[in-house]
Amino acid sequence: MSKKEESMMVLDPRGQPSGIFGRRTEAGDIFGGDILNPDIQPKISIDALEGLMMAPRLDSLEGKTVYLVNTGFAGGKEFMEELQEWFTKNRPEIKTELRNKQTSMFSDEPELWKEIRENGDAAIIGVGG
Amino acid sequence: MENDYSIPTAPIVTARFADYVQRDGQSHGMNLRYTFPPYPVGWVPRETLHGYVEGNDPVSGAPLMEEMLFALTQPLTEVEKHPQILKRPERPRLLEPATEADLHRLFLESGWTDGLPIVLPTEERVEEMLTGTDRDPQEIIGMMSVTTHEERLQYTVERVAVNAVMAGAKPEHLPVILAVAATGQPSMPSSTTSWGSMMMVNGPIRDEIGMNYGGAALSPFNYANAVIGRTWTLMSINFGDARLGTTFTASTGHTANYNNMCCAENEENSVWKPFNVRKGAKVGESSVSLFRGWNVLTMGIGPAQRMLNTMKGLSPFGGSFTFVIDPLVAKSLKREEGYDDPMELSKWLVEKMESRFMRPEMVNFIVVGGETNPMWVISDFMYNRTAPINPWIPKAGIRKDEQPLRMPVEVACSEGSCGISH
Repeated sequence: MSKKEESMMVLDPRGQPSGIFGRRTEAGDIFGGDILNPDIQPKISIDALEGLMMAPRLDSLEGKTVYLVNTGFAGGKEFMEELQEWFTKNRPEIKTELRNKQTSMFSDEPELWKEIRENGDAAIIGVGG
Repeated sequence: MENDYSIPTAPIVTARFADYVQRDGQSHGMNLRYTFPPYPVGWVPRETLHGYVEGNDPVSGAPLMEEMLFALTQPLTEVEKHPQILKRPERPRLLEPATEADLHRLFLESGWTDGLPIVLPTEERVEEMLTGTDRDPQEIIGMMSVTTHEERLQYTVERVAVNAVMAGAKPEHLPVILAVAATGQPSMPSSTTSWGSMMMVNGPIRDEIGMNYGGAALSPFNYANAVIGRTWTLMSINFGDARLGTTFTASTGHTANYNNMCCAENEENSVWKPFNVRKGAKVGESSVSLFRGWNVLTMGIGPAQRMLNTMKGLSPFGGSFTFVIDPLVAKSLKREEGYDDPMELSKWLVEKMESRFMRPEMVNFIVVGGETNPMWVISDFMYNRTAPINPWIPKAGIRKDEQPLRMPVEVACSEGSCGISH
């Protein structure tokens, strides 16, 4: 057997799964820069992730309030304005409230989420990408 | 929103990222009810957006608005009620035996390299690499992801050594590489905006391992600069889990991703304190400083006023500037303009920029170059951190080969006798 045909063993170069995921940054991180800092970026364990649940859906949107949230990517504000116009024209029985996130798209904004919980019934959030 | 506030939510993501977020849903155990309009959404006429809203989701083919309303009102399925995460398997220490040619193909086709030829990490080579540190090979020294949200991959000293072997490095380079690895910082974080990085070494280790900080230090004329910078890239791929189209979303990408502008500071010819000392290291300590941004914006020659004029004509995305300046510039700034400390220059520049957001710490100066021209280059790189190298150096000192590999260095001919050698 020539040397070229001989089998050899090498080590795997890839990292091991850690069970730790990144997550959105805290509300105080206005510019979203902390998301790129491994020392302070908030993290969540795989066990905690598995416990997250989707919210029950609504029977109907009639008479309900839907918040339209622009996360801050380019074009998001204009897209949400178009959505709001669509609701006004096509589904006037659904009330919409448009909000632009005040922090970066990577950051938490609990005041806004609380407002939606207190005054709204559903949310449309975007536009990612 | 769904879990913490119990608000039914319809997230909207452009169709360009449909695969990305759906894979993300698998790894996070929650497949949210996305709606995908066409792309791009940014910088298009209003009537285009109107058409998106009135039209169909190009991924599902369904009317976009119907889909959005469906997402908010259709009862949850059993799968949605019981989210499960697709757990990633542990990676083996050793790969299946194969021929050299097949292993090269495996590494390339698996996306474990930067596309250039690698040195295969055999046990013997990795063992040799590990002589470059006293640390336990199985010590876990960090975790990394090029994304902001995906699972971090953790790595041992040994896995760092594997990537160092692949890059063509030697044991003498390992302490710098371990110092970078321990930051958990990928050199190419995933962003559609295409990040680049720069790394610069200070301290005695620069000369011990033969780094270039003089003429053309950022060009491919130095072995240590090349392989150390390359290893950071390979670690970002293999520990940061950079997979094109899956976790890595850069639109144009960045040529700095190949070697991360790896260099050292020309402390000997600088009139200022070494950069790492200015960032808190003790005099004589070896450190590696990391920077991140997008572009080398332009070059210039001359004094502080010209630096200011150039800055005023630029509008970097992150608001930061890092100047890479030839030692002649530092000498001139000190001698002619009285800047004993570059922080004073940073303060002056920021004051004159009259920006609400800029702070002096956002303007940094590193001294690199061979004094062939009093020039500087200005980048939009932001200073990230300075990491200590000394904890990774063996007690017996840097482990060097009997005849360390060195590329040709600039001819230093103080007595004028060397002339042209070929």
